[in-house]
Amino acid sequence: MSEQTLITVKDLSVSFDGTPAVKNISFTVQAGKVLALVGESGSGKSVTARSLLGLSGGTVTASTLDICGHDARSLSDRAWQKIRGNTLSLILQDALMALDPLRPVGREINDGLKEHTALKSAERKQRVLEVLKSVRMPEPDVRAKQRSTELSGGMRQRALIAQALVGNPQVVIADEATTALDSQLTALVLSQLRALKQQGRGILMISHDLAQVAHLADDIAVMRHGEIVESGPTQQILEHPQHDYTRKLLRAVPSSVPRFTALSDLGAEETTSPARKIQDSEQHSPALSVKDLSKSFGKHLAVSSVSFELPRGKTLGIVGESGSGKTTTARMVLGLEKPDSGTVELLGERFSPSTASQRQNLREQMGAIYQNPLGSFDPRYTVGQLLTDALSRGKSKRASEYRKPITQLLEQVELSADLLARNPRELSGGQRQRLAIARALAPKPSVLVLDEPVSALDVSIQATVLDLLDRIQLETGTSYLFISHDLSVIEHMSDTVAVMHQGKLIEHGDTASIFGSPQREYTQKLLSAMPRLR
Amino acid sequence: MSRTAKICCLLVIGLWLLMALAPSVLAPGDPLAINPTQAFAKPGLAHFFGTDESGRDIYTRVIHGAGDSLAIGLAATALGMGLAIVLGTIAALSPRWLDEIILRILEALYAIPSLLMALLIIAFTGPGVGPAIVAVGLSTAPGYARLVRSQIRSLKNSEMLEAATVLGRGTWRKSRNHLIPNALKPLLALVTLGIGQAVIWAAALSFLGLGTPPPAPEWGAMLSAGRTYLHLAWWMSLFPGLAIVAVAVSATLIGRALGGKVKSL
Repeated sequence: MSEQTLITVKDLSVSFDGTPAVKNISFTVQAGKVLALVGESGSGKSVTARSLLGLSGGTVTASTLDICGHDARSLSDRAWQKIRGNTLSLILQDALMALDPLRPVGREINDGLKEHTALKSAERKQRVLEVLKSVRMPEPDVRAKQRSTELSGGMRQRALIAQALVGNPQVVIADEATTALDSQLTALVLSQLRALKQQGRGILMISHDLAQVAHLADDIAVMRHGEIVESGPTQQILEHPQHDYTRKLLRAVPSSVPRFTALSDLGAEETTSPARKIQDSEQHSPALSVKDLSKSFGKHLAVSSVSFELPRGKTLGIVGESGSGKTTTARMVLGLEKPDSGTVELLGERFSPSTASQRQNLREQMGAIYQNPLGSFDPRYTVGQLLTDALSRGKSKRASEYRKPITQLLEQVELSADLLARNPRELSGGQRQRLAIARALAPKPSVLVLDEPVSALDVSIQATVLDLLDRIQLETGTSYLFISHDLSVIEHMSDTVAVMHQGKLIEHGDTASIFGSPQREYTQKLLSAMPRLR
Repeated sequence: MSRTAKICCLLVIGLWLLMALAPSVLAPGDPLAINPTQAFAKPGLAHFFGTDESGRDIYTRVIHGAGDSLAIGLAATALGMGLAIVLGTIAALSPRWLDEIILRILEALYAIPSLLMALLIIAFTGPGVGPAIVAVGLSTAPGYARLVRSQIRSLKNSEMLEAATVLGRGTWRKSRNHLIPNALKPLLALVTLGIGQAVIWAAALSFLGLGTPPPAPEWGAMLSAGRTYLHLAWWMSLFPGLAIVAVAVSATLIGRALGGKVKSL
């Protein structure tokens, strides 16, 4: 081999109190190459990454565990400390959590040098600035003195990467470094990783999303239940996947998949059968009509003169980065935030601005699904009580009176009736979101406002929830206002798309035309940053 | 909470309730019956806890005293909590200016030591059981009120309440079904702790002669009476004192057990 092998792992197993989390996996990380470990939550990918840093906290066994010439099976705590940050470093996911909010980022980065080098104070300062420059931090000397909370999201990501790079590591591990970031930040992190690869460092990328890693990784290893089910060059994995699970993951990626085409195996036959239920939009007023909506918080103009219409039985996708005003718009549509100006009409009637009693009759025509369903449930209620509460309009908690409609709702969202007595806390993320959908459907709404409904879910779970939403729209003719930062989800789910940027709706049109020939420069930039498989 | 802990808590609560509601089951005698020939009898088989200066049986009096002490503790805590819920809820839901006014008043009250405030109140009302309840209740209210306020404030802006709004629930239903139960649940442990505290304060007031008047069998009053004869008849002070400690300790332990349960949620 001409390439230099930096990390060799053979038959690595990690267990926690006898329960295996990683089972006999082997891989190598080479200089100037990117290896992506792809899998969903619980697949053992993060545990693998952590055991390379000696941080797994479980029992680690391996026949070979070689990290840049060190046998990592028999390292003392002191020796590990020398490796971490110096030979091997980790880029974490959430910059806001990973950086100490009370210390200037320059000092945070400096810490790594203090620990690992004998450099003098002035030299260290010089090195910190160099690293910040290398990740293209604007005005590095000013930023180094600021705290993470004073920096923008992009600058925080750069600081976090600089922190990982300051010790000049040979290998960088990126653990879900792009998850939950909007597309521009994702593009930033990916370009930084690409630069690291060109510098000849080895990169181990951990992600649940195949599309994210497709363009950067040289090799992909797909993990499931602690095992590597398939591995090989990226091209081969994407084009000729051998294992069923790999195919399932690939299929679950929603970008460029037309509407009502199932992403998961479960809904495969279902989605084609029923004809789409759409009332003649000529005869009816639109489900939702928003005119000139504006809202500012203090001096900050959050939403500026936004107008759109949502035809009955269709989906309007609103896409934009964090801070673009999507959620404020959703909250005004839902009547949770009073607009400074503008109106919201639901089924041709005034919904906002209006008083709670005036819109009481219309309330049930509009439901909402949130990113974190658990937060929207009363923690004292069981699954059955939540649905009873929704069905009885808050008048009863006794599930026995509503057995039939509850069973129907559960069937509609494909949840087992065995869950009725459980607390939502005991459900998985996908089950929770299904429950949230069931509850929102209880009053038979005409419009559902979905604010980042699948952003917290693994791709394969996301696929089943999106399929479910598709099927419900076909069956009930419910209109969706679908809000997401994820372009591929928006592309798959929407009939029309509205792009928001800095509080303004800058482009609005058919999904095909927005994604095919975007007119505005911002939209073009946004789309070019979108990770794609197909 | 483990099963054993639950059973223990229930047993202790049951025992106290039995003492408070049907003291004659445990101590069939008359707590007020005087028998001068038996004055200052040492603890023994005839009198488990001995007798006092008038020959009244201390055991019977301690058992019969549970009713008053617990009633004062419960009533005072209920009064304090009730007031706190009203004030705290109003403060949390009202516009900023009213919230600020209520907060300042609560802070001013909070700054006065509770027992001192109880004494002040009794200075106005005169001594007695009723005034003792009012005094202890009022002096604990500010602390609870601040907690209720912050609980409701954080819940008011929660996704849970927004979800209820979107489902079309009115203010009344939202408050009754979601806001108040969820705000009060974490306070349950605190209230249990508070009952123990209130029992101690009620006893303290009686000890100072400001609560239940003698010769009624109230623990604080009994302690006070025993103080005069401490060198002669230690049992007159020891057993009512132990009773107060026992109530306070069991309330604390139950409160802790409940607190653990709330935390684990």
